[in-house]
Amino acid sequence: MSQETLPIGTQQRPSVTRSKDRRSRGRVAPTSGLRPRDRRPGRMLGRIVLWAVLIIGAAAMLIPFLWLVRSALMNDDQILIAPPQWWPNPFAWGNFSGALTAQPFALYFLNTITIEFVVITGTVLTCAVSAFSFSRLRWRGRNVVFGILLTSVMLPYAVTLIPTFIMWSELQALNTFIPLMVPAWFAGAGGGVFNIFLMRQFFLTIPFELDEAAYIDGASPWRVFWTIIMPLSKPVIVVVVIFTFIGVWNDFLGPLLYLSSDNKFTLALGLASFQGQYTAQWGYLMAASTVVILPIILLFFFLQRYFVEGVTLTGVKG
Amino acid sequence: MSAEVTARTRRRLSGLGRVEQRWGWFFALPAIAGFLIFTIGPMIASGVFSLTDWTIGLSPRFIGGRNYHTLIHDHLFWKSLTVTAYYTIGSVPLVLIVGFAIAMLLNQKIKGLSFWRTVYFLPTLVPAIASAVLWIWIFNPDFGLLNALLRGAGLPTSQWIYSERAAIPSLILMSTWGFGNAMVIFLAGLQGIPRQLLEAASIDGAGTWARFRSVTLPFMTPTIFYNLVTGVIATFQVFNQAYVMTQGGPNNATLFYIYYLYTKAFTQGQMGYAAALAWVLFVIVLIVTLLLFRNARSWVYYEMGDAR
Amino acid sequence: MSSPTWRPNRRELLRFAGLGAAAAAVPGLAACGGESVTGGSTSELQFMYWGSSFEKTAIEAMLTSFQDSHKNVTTKPLYTPDDYTTKLNTLVASHRAPDLAYLGAPDCFRFGTAGNLLNLYDYIDKYPGLKDRLPYTYFWYGEDKLAGIQTANEVQLLWYNRTAFKDAGLDVPPADAAKAWTWDTFVEMAHKLTLDQNGKSADQSGFDPTKIRQFGCSIGTVLGLNAEALVRSNGGSFFSEDGTQCALDSAATVKVFQDIADLAYKYHVAPTTTQLGNNAPTTTVQLKTRRIAMVADGQWDLLDMAQSDLDFGMGVLPRYTKPVTIGQGGATSIFSQTKNKDMALELYLYHNDPAKVKLFSDGLWMPLEKKYYTDPKLIDLWTKNKAHPAEFKSAVIDYALNNAVATWTQSIKNSAAISELITPPLQQVDNGKKTAAEVCKSVSQKVQPLLKGSYPQGDLS
Repeated sequence: MSQETLPIGTQQRPSVTRSKDRRSRGRVAPTSGLRPRDRRPGRMLGRIVLWAVLIIGAAAMLIPFLWLVRSALMNDDQILIAPPQWWPNPFAWGNFSGALTAQPFALYFLNTITIEFVVITGTVLTCAVSAFSFSRLRWRGRNVVFGILLTSVMLPYAVTLIPTFIMWSELQALNTFIPLMVPAWFAGAGGGVFNIFLMRQFFLTIPFELDEAAYIDGASPWRVFWTIIMPLSKPVIVVVVIFTFIGVWNDFLGPLLYLSSDNKFTLALGLASFQGQYTAQWGYLMAASTVVILPIILLFFFLQRYFVEGVTLTGVKG
Repeated sequence: MSAEVTARTRRRLSGLGRVEQRWGWFFALPAIAGFLIFTIGPMIASGVFSLTDWTIGLSPRFIGGRNYHTLIHDHLFWKSLTVTAYYTIGSVPLVLIVGFAIAMLLNQKIKGLSFWRTVYFLPTLVPAIASAVLWIWIFNPDFGLLNALLRGAGLPTSQWIYSERAAIPSLILMSTWGFGNAMVIFLAGLQGIPRQLLEAASIDGAGTWARFRSVTLPFMTPTIFYNLVTGVIATFQVFNQAYVMTQGGPNNATLFYIYYLYTKAFTQGQMGYAAALAWVLFVIVLIVTLLLFRNARSWVYYEMGDAR
Repeated sequence: MSSPTWRPNRRELLRFAGLGAAAAAVPGLAACGGESVTGGSTSELQFMYWGSSFEKTAIEAMLTSFQDSHKNVTTKPLYTPDDYTTKLNTLVASHRAPDLAYLGAPDCFRFGTAGNLLNLYDYIDKYPGLKDRLPYTYFWYGEDKLAGIQTANEVQLLWYNRTAFKDAGLDVPPADAAKAWTWDTFVEMAHKLTLDQNGKSADQSGFDPTKIRQFGCSIGTVLGLNAEALVRSNGGSFFSEDGTQCALDSAATVKVFQDIADLAYKYHVAPTTTQLGNNAPTTTVQLKTRRIAMVADGQWDLLDMAQSDLDFGMGVLPRYTKPVTIGQGGATSIFSQTKNKDMALELYLYHNDPAKVKLFSDGLWMPLEKKYYTDPKLIDLWTKNKAHPAEFKSAVIDYALNNAVATWTQSIKNSAAISELITPPLQQVDNGKKTAAEVCKSVSQKVQPLLKGSYPQGDLS
């Protein structure tokens, strides 16, 4: 074990033994619903407090969104007056049709979705593979390499903007989607390191015994990765998908620098054009913004099922 | 147990070890290649820029470390560093705590959980410009929401982002609305806690707090660590609020480091100096991250711990 | 146990790493030299610009009609809705500058002095259309060196809500520079037009300054264009004409700054900067909702005003001694690496033509050539329409022709760094925290080392 170095951030774990003891010692007693303990009045109170906090918090969270929607339904002269009005008068439904026809948003949507598809697949695959390597395979130089990769997000992009742009222009990739799509297949190259880091953290919480059993049976690391680890990592994959989706959806600077033809613009660029130097079409901007965030809301809502409800704070089996 | 360990060791040194070595590099290849192709080149280039006097439009002129010398005597450099550090120290812990608490809240068996979770994630999705306009109203000293609430409660009001002293605390308060990202990661992390342990603990008579402290929290340390490190790295590079809301004011009270860097690089075209600023920040963030990783050994627990 | 077919060993990987890093760094460092490639081939002209989607439509229409009317030329719009200076600097640094581009004053002078821009002065004989423009619209960066001309002209004026004046029974602000209000008259009027929630005006006893429903006026910040116009009107300036002295601490300038601050903090007839907010409602909205009765702002508001149902009026700014306004606008320049200089200049003149770009008649832009301010037929060409009100001729056209001067950033060198230094402290005057006298004195001393003189102004008018 001469050259073995522990991965950064781990510690010797005597308590694994303790948990093993627990598993062998106490069986889970079969329960048939609520136990007498659960009918304590404290439990009802806890439930009420929970719901109260939930609802109040949700109301606070909804304020920004409601603001957006009410602005989208108002004429420009009402949006910015102070103190603000919360009820539009009249309802400016025309903001939606006006905004979406002022520019070819359908085309922008298509462009953005195309980029999303390529970027999400590339990011998930390559980042997962890299994270697997950094967490579940032992090789010389692993931590050093991981550390070096991590430094790529520490240098402000403002100063790497120009050299990166020059590189792409030398490769004749200007006014194409290439600079926006290709780095994703190299584990995100730059910002993607956060995804590798995240997946690494998750992979490190899975017991190695699973891998070991597979290796004993003659599996290759690829098989272990694909058939054992990935299926267990649905939650973190969902997180990476959501964050990558949002990142590409809202990315403004990348498309701004690399795309010059109108028909290649993305949604983010389309939104920015509602604000000019002397004038701003606030109603259109708010309406378009509302429409633009809807797909993300839907995506998030439907990917929820991979976040299974856990055990309640008060102990009833979930 | 020890026989198992030695057997494992023997196997590793012979077959498994070599395979792991090769596959390790192979799997890391996309990331390494990406770094070499897309990252290292621009990083080196920007390092070289920092040693030049380069106004965009003109040719760069090599001046060695003079930019770094100027930087040390630039009071705006120090100002922006303090402003950013203040913001980071205030915002990161707050967002972590709020995100964690809400993730715990939303990991219960509640009706319509998908709906609740989406609602709590919404503020993160509202576009920055709409958010900025909204918060400018919220912060308005005369008829903004916050002062209205304070007045209603009989408390003294504040000038919020219009006051030099209250500007950063105001922005820290605003940043807590963006806990959504941290919350989602914590939610994912909570999925990985073995339910049997929690059940076993509760059977053994552990109360809510004890279960949280000895089962949930240790299993969450990897994600807490992740959110901490990425939070620090990202918050040091905060830019948007200054750009959209305050333009660094009032009187440079919100002159964030990256905002200052940006104006130097693009408004004034001083790319060489900006590159020097960038590398100074790089070193600072690197040191802080290294310290965090070192410190993590004492409190972050990985299930893979003893094998790896 | 299966193994991958290709097993890179450490040595190979290190070799690739070294090659890769070297190869990747080269293009970045190539910025330092190498030949330049302007975007656009011989027959393509790239036109980089900013603006809202409304302006985008008008500009693209102009570019299309140029393309249609000129053989062997294609135009390519580079629409950049935000982060304009980031993209522009990136393009210039990578030797891919467009042919024509909008430029803010700092960028225009920086690229001009660096030699990246075509010296338009060399072409005035071949293209006399570049001459005879309003004098303050030229961006001179040296003796006989012209980096650009304003894309469009804008002047500052006094916008007001006619109904608010009618209700108060007051005469509207004059639309003729010769009849401009004195500052004291202006303040008096502002008092009468400032109403609290009980309807009492600021000059009446019992007026409650904490419950103001309507402000009489709004001038903006002390470093803004309106303030600069007033300072010039009082015989003062921000900097000496030769750019070597700071004039912010001169008595004339300090008085005007303090007068402006007093409007909000002493007399309560104007909103404070916090009451105005950082993303304040537009002038049109402020007037329409009668939050403010008179707003000093740029001519560009006409586009918005004309499309609203507000009964608005345009007047000249108040004066101290002589009536003065500021005429300014961003520049359009031609990058020197353009492959087709003649076509670029043709397009340049084309985009200034009120007959070819709708934005002039819509009220957003004003022309640059003097003839559009003096020749009645040409005046009608861009003002005889629904958007331009009756008083436009005297309040704006004559005002821009006879009373407008250039803003300081158009001639003082190193303006970006100077601005960065003087803006934060002077915000304290805008916030009512300090008096103009104290701040101006300390700022003047601090800014002295940054003053590098001024650009010699030519005369092509």
